[in-house]
Amino acid sequence: MLADPGFWLVQGLNSLQLAMLLFLLSVGLTVIFGLMNFVNLAHGSLYALGALIGYSIGQWSGSFWLAFATAPLVVAAIGALLYATLIDRLRFAGPMNQVLVTFGLIFVLIDVQRYLWGSDQLGLTSGLPFPGSVEVLGEPYPAYRLFIIAVGLGVFALLYFWLERTRLGAEIRAGVDDAETARCLGIDVDRTFFLVFLVGCALAGLAGVIALPAFPVEAGMGVSILVPALIVVVIGGLGSLKGAMVGALLIGATITFGQVLVPAFAGILMHLLLIAALLVKPEGLFPVRE
Amino acid sequence: MLTRLSFRDGVAGLVFLGLLAFAAQAEYFGLELLAEIAIFAILAMSLDLLAGVTGLVSLGHAAFFGLGAYGFALLTVLLGWPPGLALMVAPLATGVLALVVGAIVTRVRGIFFIMITLAFGEMGHEFVFQNRALGGDDGLAGIPRLDLSALGLDLADPRVFAVTALLLALLVYLALAWLLATPYGKALAGIHSNEQRMRALGLPVRAYKTSAFALAGAIAGLAGVLAAQHTQFITPQLLHWTTSGEILVMVILGGLATLVGPVVGAILLTLLRHELSNYTDYWGLWLGLFLILVVVSGRNGIVGVAGQLWRRWGPRRARARGHA
Repeated sequence: MLADPGFWLVQGLNSLQLAMLLFLLSVGLTVIFGLMNFVNLAHGSLYALGALIGYSIGQWSGSFWLAFATAPLVVAAIGALLYATLIDRLRFAGPMNQVLVTFGLIFVLIDVQRYLWGSDQLGLTSGLPFPGSVEVLGEPYPAYRLFIIAVGLGVFALLYFWLERTRLGAEIRAGVDDAETARCLGIDVDRTFFLVFLVGCALAGLAGVIALPAFPVEAGMGVSILVPALIVVVIGGLGSLKGAMVGALLIGATITFGQVLVPAFAGILMHLLLIAALLVKPEGLFPVRE
Repeated sequence: MLTRLSFRDGVAGLVFLGLLAFAAQAEYFGLELLAEIAIFAILAMSLDLLAGVTGLVSLGHAAFFGLGAYGFALLTVLLGWPPGLALMVAPLATGVLALVVGAIVTRVRGIFFIMITLAFGEMGHEFVFQNRALGGDDGLAGIPRLDLSALGLDLADPRVFAVTALLLALLVYLALAWLLATPYGKALAGIHSNEQRMRALGLPVRAYKTSAFALAGAIAGLAGVLAAQHTQFITPQLLHWTTSGEILVMVILGGLATLVGPVVGAILLTLLRHELSNYTDYWGLWLGLFLILVVVSGRNGIVGVAGQLWRRWGPRRARARGHA
């Protein structure tokens, strides 16, 4: 198995595909964290909401593309609601209270999902895009998974352009770097934070809805992905877009190859990576702040 | 001596008396609930030592609870040790493991501490879940209870078991109350309120944090040993992050760093879970809402608020002393 180049190619693509999902999820987490020192543990639940809402829209309309386009917007709207009711008033409540409230939010959102969608695994059966597989260097590979990889890379490129080349991006980076000074320079950091929060929620929803045709979805799926996403954020460096991508690639490969090569230790491997990262380089691979 | 009794000890006295009085006349179902309350009270007090007193909020505390339970089950069911010996070895082993984990996790602070404890907890859950020898996700059955017939006691009797568990919880309360009054306990509280200053005073802060983590882990292990004997069947759910969350809600609902608060929280949450499960499948929804409401209210749980009221409206002496 190990001598077969096809094995490495397919598993490499698998880890790339998982990495893109993790990237979409962590990028919101990391920029929100970087901008306001705010850890939203319920971010994974938004991913689950994206998948479940996408499932319902897909079932109702028969069109995956409609789900693909609207689910992230619905999740962003839910994010705005959360922001108005809870997140905003926690802004200056200290990190401990923020973690506890968003931790409580996980419990609430899981049960809301169970109430609305039940506890069974769901999957779209019709109207799926890119059915079948294509040949990649002589190996057949599901076409849809390549689409996930393309979306991830596309979002990365867009975000990179947004953050590095536009005025708003510069304001966000200034906010991450030093919120006080940015405020003094006339940047509306609060508005910037709200905007980033919404984009982060939409991306979590996007990650959920594009995972829909490839994986079964269920209420509570947000928790199993939360820990890997947090690990990506810590390893990459809080607030860093590049860090989120590199961290996602690292964790995607660790999980994928771990499951194939050492199945008994796959779950532990990822956590060991986090522990090692926190001990050796707690500021992450691409620290944003000194 | 009586005049030096604090508000906290007064509340604790009333709470434990009430529980024991209930144990004297409760039926089977009530006794099962009481044993569960006692186990969670011990567990929540151990987390209070860590999160409330020392300021180390751990989201992976249930892992030590589960490891205590699995340690006891491993020693008795799989290795055939006598329960009496396993009862002592399992919490100690959990404490040693918590010492090692504590030495690692106390290297990071604040938000990172929360994440690394969550990761360690998940790792423990994953380990047991995947481990076929420990029953994996099917769990382990046939765990024996301690044989106390030499003392004329039969732990298979739910009343004897509940009262024993309650007395153990009282013992843990007294031991922790004593510990918090020692210089060691004061130093832990000092680390919570101003770590820089304690370091400047020459206190080896990391060693104190690590030892508190190990002690809290060992006590959680003891609670796990009790839980394994209570249900005689255990699953990896004991180590799950939702269990960690539930303990944390008990501590916060009751009042951080109040020691008796977590006991009150354990009583309320256990009763609520059983009551609400008659009406709804959505226990987590209520649990999450309680947590959010208590944190957003900005008050220190039930006992914290009661203490404030006592200082304001209670007898003069309490007001003059200015603390509960």
